[in-house]
Amino acid sequence: METVLKINNLSKNYGNIRAIQDVSFEVKKGEVYGILGPNGSGKTTTLAVIMGVLNANGGNYEWFEKPFSKLSRRRIGALIETPNFYPYLTLWENLKIVAKIKDAPEEDINHALGVANLLKRKHTNFGHLSLGMKQRMSLASVLIGNPEVLVLDEPTNGLDPEGFAEVRNIILSQANEGKTIIIASHILDEVEKVCSHVAILKSGELIANGRVGELLSSEETVFIQSERMDELIGILNDSELTSKVYMAEDDIAVVMNSNYKSTDLSKFCFEKGFPLSKIVVKKQSLEDQFLQLVK
Amino acid sequence: MKKLFALEKIKALSYPAFKTLMIIHFLLFFLVILVVSRFHFSIPGFSVKGLYQFPNIWEFFPWVASWFNLFLAIVVIILAGNEFANKTFRQNVIDGLSRNDLIKGKLVLIFTIAVYTFIMVLLAVFIFGLINTKNISFDIIFENSYLILIYFVQAIGYMTLGLLISIIFRNNALSIVMFILYFFPIEPIIRAIFKTEARKFFPIKIISNLTPTPEFLTMTSENSYTNTSGTSSLDFSEIGLLPEKLPLGITVILATGYIGFFIALSTILLNKRNL
Repeated sequence: METVLKINNLSKNYGNIRAIQDVSFEVKKGEVYGILGPNGSGKTTTLAVIMGVLNANGGNYEWFEKPFSKLSRRRIGALIETPNFYPYLTLWENLKIVAKIKDAPEEDINHALGVANLLKRKHTNFGHLSLGMKQRMSLASVLIGNPEVLVLDEPTNGLDPEGFAEVRNIILSQANEGKTIIIASHILDEVEKVCSHVAILKSGELIANGRVGELLSSEETVFIQSERMDELIGILNDSELTSKVYMAEDDIAVVMNSNYKSTDLSKFCFEKGFPLSKIVVKKQSLEDQFLQLVK
Repeated sequence: MKKLFALEKIKALSYPAFKTLMIIHFLLFFLVILVVSRFHFSIPGFSVKGLYQFPNIWEFFPWVASWFNLFLAIVVIILAGNEFANKTFRQNVIDGLSRNDLIKGKLVLIFTIAVYTFIMVLLAVFIFGLINTKNISFDIIFENSYLILIYFVQAIGYMTLGLLISIIFRNNALSIVMFILYFFPIEPIIRAIFKTEARKFFPIKIISNLTPTPEFLTMTSENSYTNTSGTSSLDFSEIGLLPEKLPLGITVILATGYIGFFIALSTILLNKRNL
């Protein structure tokens, strides 16, 4: 499968502050790739560097297996940070500028405004829009020129629940058309519902990446207590019953492999000489898992 | 280039402040030449009416228009500064322009404004010159007409300096203040520090000398000063009231060099810094 984006050891500093450090990952064609992380983790910086608006201090990146160029830019529709348009121009005039830059036909403008539900506002000045509408306008501009890749930084920022759902549907419909989508977000629900893959950033460093189902899922977690907990963790880590084992306060949290149940775990521990004094099965929330990862 | 022109056209012509400033520029220029034309002042060897006749008009009108080149530079500062304030340079790059395209776009804008003001002065020269000149001949009409081309270079010079300052400071108010302060007092003070020939080669000195005060006006002011005070120890050229003159050809070459320098520095800065 074609690699759409390849990032190698990318670093960016703001003075003494390391915004991102040695970040590497790949996005393949057709993936909906989430970049997840708390505020200040380097999501926006990563996107701004790969879109050429910030200069990297180290590392490199390639779009479509080639160095970033004017031609590759036109195959990408991007929304980075806040919506940036000319406040004194109408939506139509602003999108005309985008269409001219991308060599896209003017018919794209009405189509994009229609998708973003802004057609009735096409003659309104951008500066007169609400934050939510500005966000939708950004989404409309991203769609101009029918790009192969969409890069969206917090696309639901400032939207009400209805707008949130609309944007999500737009993203999903674009994904269904086979487009590659890269989304930066700190909203777990958004990432889980939309993304196929995810990279998790913390303090500018990549701490995990892979399929969403593997990294973040609403799976069952078994919380256990026994004697000699440290020893038990080592044994469980080597066991085929478990996919993930970690300490959660006073408990050992165990994520079971799909073929096994909590009763199998209890039996296994007993046979190994670790009778359990506590066993509680919980469905762990995405938030808990995310916090566990970024801890 | 055609695309960049189309983009700048949308950005500038739909911007109310741009339209207002250009109308004010047009009105100020014509106001000055109309008001001065109402004076019927004359002394031996000089009359106001003579300023409106060929070939003197080629010297006088570009000189008057050059007062308002600062105004055009401020228009460029505002248009470029808005791109930083609204982060639209950033968005243009995200959408597919290169950083060099951003500079080229602004140079297209500068060139277009310079052509507009060139045509404005040219039309004014012909209208007033043909009305006020007796015994018109082809030679008289076009004698000194090259001065309007030099005015065109000057307009570009001021506007490219405005663009550079805007890229350095990225803030409209600060850029305008710094631009004006550079004219006075920063560069004159720096020039005063240099007690050598070097003071003739500073950018504002060179660019403003492209359209020097018409010769018949400087002669009059120098004479009248000497007449009232006897001897003069004050060098008007030194404090910038009268131009220290280099030959015009050299001034044009140096001004063109400065324009190239402003453009190169603007390009380097825009490429090096984050958007």
